[in-house]
Amino acid sequence: MSRQNRANGRRIMGPQSALTDFLASHNISALQIRNEAEQRRRAAAQDSQDNEDDQENEEANLGGDASITLDTSATVETVAESPARTLRTRRGAQAEAQRKKEQQVIEKIKASKKFKKRKRGPNENSDDEDEIIQALARERAAPLPGQMENCTQCGKRFTVTAYSRNGPDGGLLCTPCGKELDKDNIAPKKKPKRASGGAVGRRRQVQSKILDGTYSLGGKSLMTLCIETLAKNIDLAEDLGDLPTSVIDKIARKLSKHRLMDSRTLSLFLQPTAEEVYIYDASKLNADDFNRIFQSVPCLKKLKVRNGIHFKDEVVDYLISRNLELTDLYLSGSNLISEAKWIELIEKKGHVLKSLRVYWTDKHFTDKVAGRIRDVCKSLERVKVCHNQHLTQVGVVDLASVKSLRHLSLDMREPVRPDMYIEALDGRGAYLQTLSLTRVPELDNSVLDAIHHKCRSLKKLRITDSEVATDAGFVRLFKDWENPGLTFLDLQKCRQLESHRPRENPDKIGLCSNGFRALMAHSGKTLKYLNVHGCRHIEASAFEDVFSAEKVYEEITKMEISFCEEVTDFVVGSIFRSCPNLRELNVFGCMKVKDVRVPRGKILVGVPNARGMVIDGDDDA
Amino acid sequence: MANDAAINGYSEEGKYITLISSDGFEYVVLREATEISPTIKSMLRNPFSESRTGRCDFPEIRSVVLEKVVEYFHYWYKNRDKDDVPDMNIPVEICLELLMAADYLGLDAKPTQPAIRD
Repeated sequence: MSRQNRANGRRIMGPQSALTDFLASHNISALQIRNEAEQRRRAAAQDSQDNEDDQENEEANLGGDASITLDTSATVETVAESPARTLRTRRGAQAEAQRKKEQQVIEKIKASKKFKKRKRGPNENSDDEDEIIQALARERAAPLPGQMENCTQCGKRFTVTAYSRNGPDGGLLCTPCGKELDKDNIAPKKKPKRASGGAVGRRRQVQSKILDGTYSLGGKSLMTLCIETLAKNIDLAEDLGDLPTSVIDKIARKLSKHRLMDSRTLSLFLQPTAEEVYIYDASKLNADDFNRIFQSVPCLKKLKVRNGIHFKDEVVDYLISRNLELTDLYLSGSNLISEAKWIELIEKKGHVLKSLRVYWTDKHFTDKVAGRIRDVCKSLERVKVCHNQHLTQVGVVDLASVKSLRHLSLDMREPVRPDMYIEALDGRGAYLQTLSLTRVPELDNSVLDAIHHKCRSLKKLRITDSEVATDAGFVRLFKDWENPGLTFLDLQKCRQLESHRPRENPDKIGLCSNGFRALMAHSGKTLKYLNVHGCRHIEASAFEDVFSAEKVYEEITKMEISFCEEVTDFVVGSIFRSCPNLRELNVFGCMKVKDVRVPRGKILVGVPNARGMVIDGDDDA
Repeated sequence: MANDAAINGYSEEGKYITLISSDGFEYVVLREATEISPTIKSMLRNPFSESRTGRCDFPEIRSVVLEKVVEYFHYWYKNRDKDDVPDMNIPVEICLELLMAADYLGLDAKPTQPAIRD
């Protein structure tokens, strides 16, 4: 108080300063302040004790303090008991002026946005305007950022910042106390999550669907709607009833997608009459659950278990002990089955097995197991082994020499010599319908030649990542090949790997222009799916020849030509012209594709432009 | 599609057909909207009595369920060329029954495909 009074008591002479002008414009008069200060000083001197405590005065006090704070911009010390209050009763005229002023402050507060907001605010049920005015007046009286203030809780002195928190009973809190307060009300501060993503979220959803390949115009099918509803409320379902297998499979997929497949929901799929049990996400199932499958589905023929971590030795033991004749077994991620159990399983149940697919069962599916498969499984038609660390080329030859084999798919971790592939093809090559060799950097022209000479019934061929096979090899493979046209061909990343001169390819390594021409001449009419991802040396002229105006490829529905550098707008247009049933074309990394007109209902994925990765055609071409 | 009807000689049935539930409720639906269901489509195409009368009996489907199916027909018809269609609401309690009806009526994958080819 004393400091304030001193400051106000100093007389400033001379012309009006800019500050005085400014203050006058805000209805603050230096003269009035001076008068008041003098009054207070006098009052203090008189030391009269006359307490009048009506509410109006209180408000006026606070309002008055606020304006003083603004005036002086000096450090504020709380005025414990304002002497002005006592004076006011004595001097009627002064009191009248004061009342006028406080009325003005109240009017100002009433007119302010904050006041209106609070009045409307849902949290403020009380209509008592006075209370709101008081609260706001208190707020206005609070020190500005940069000033010092005593914390209302711990009493410590601290510097007020814009982030200083208000105490529960008004006043400001220091940083540590503010943090404590924050800790207490964490829960109410959390914003409720938005239910839908709005326009952007929906657009994103559409693009996501296009990339997933599940996009279609119009509403979802009734069955999809029902299955989604069912998956959302699966805890209410007790029995799926008499639904056909295909529908049950769809439900199983949906549930697994949402990670809802557990011990309880598994029961829905275990119908005593079923022959197939497909579990797409078994990560929540334990060994007992797997045993339950074998108990409650006595006619089980086809079993698919993905992420079946707990499909382990004891489960295999139980499976062996049951009188089940599995024809299809698909296991993914079942790491805990030992080599001995695999062998036992093959020996006991292998003779009826038609299809065996094994993914990510790393170490225990070994060459020995492959050897037993060759000896025991007399009716095995389909073998697929992926991501396996202990199967070597010896095992591959064993698997390929199964007498009834028709489909062979391998994604090996161990290197396989090309002559091993040739040896493998020698046996069953003529009968193979599927040959899928994923990630085979060593695979060379000799294997391609072997395929050309041996294979006569291939429908699906995959050779990826070959670093040594050449264009000439591919030409020899497809030219005059007696195999009927393929329906599925994947030759992705068969290209030269040379970082110094990536564009030169003197030895024509990988699938290049002539190989591409030859393959389309051989299989173009029958292909449904073609993947030449990353075959960088196919020239634009080859694409233009293959997809020229008079050529039509009716069957192709999906094509992947990403990272083929020479693909231009014209090539993409030609492809759409030549492939009337093409639904999706991927052109990631084809930097010469700039502005293509996409026919209606077709999807072009991966265009390098600002519109995003996907163009869904809207031209009625 | 109206042309198809004329070619096949049953144009007199007109634009609407009647679907009858197991408990006798009748629903009159736009013929085009029911084309999404291969089952109903073939009922109306082939020389069955349905193709003459334009009335299809579904003795296995309750009226509550059939009503929802009819609602779906209209939902599909209204949205058949639209992008990003909001999902139709399916009541949980008839979900399984509706699923069975959907399977019976062939309302499974890719609803727009047959319509585009027509």
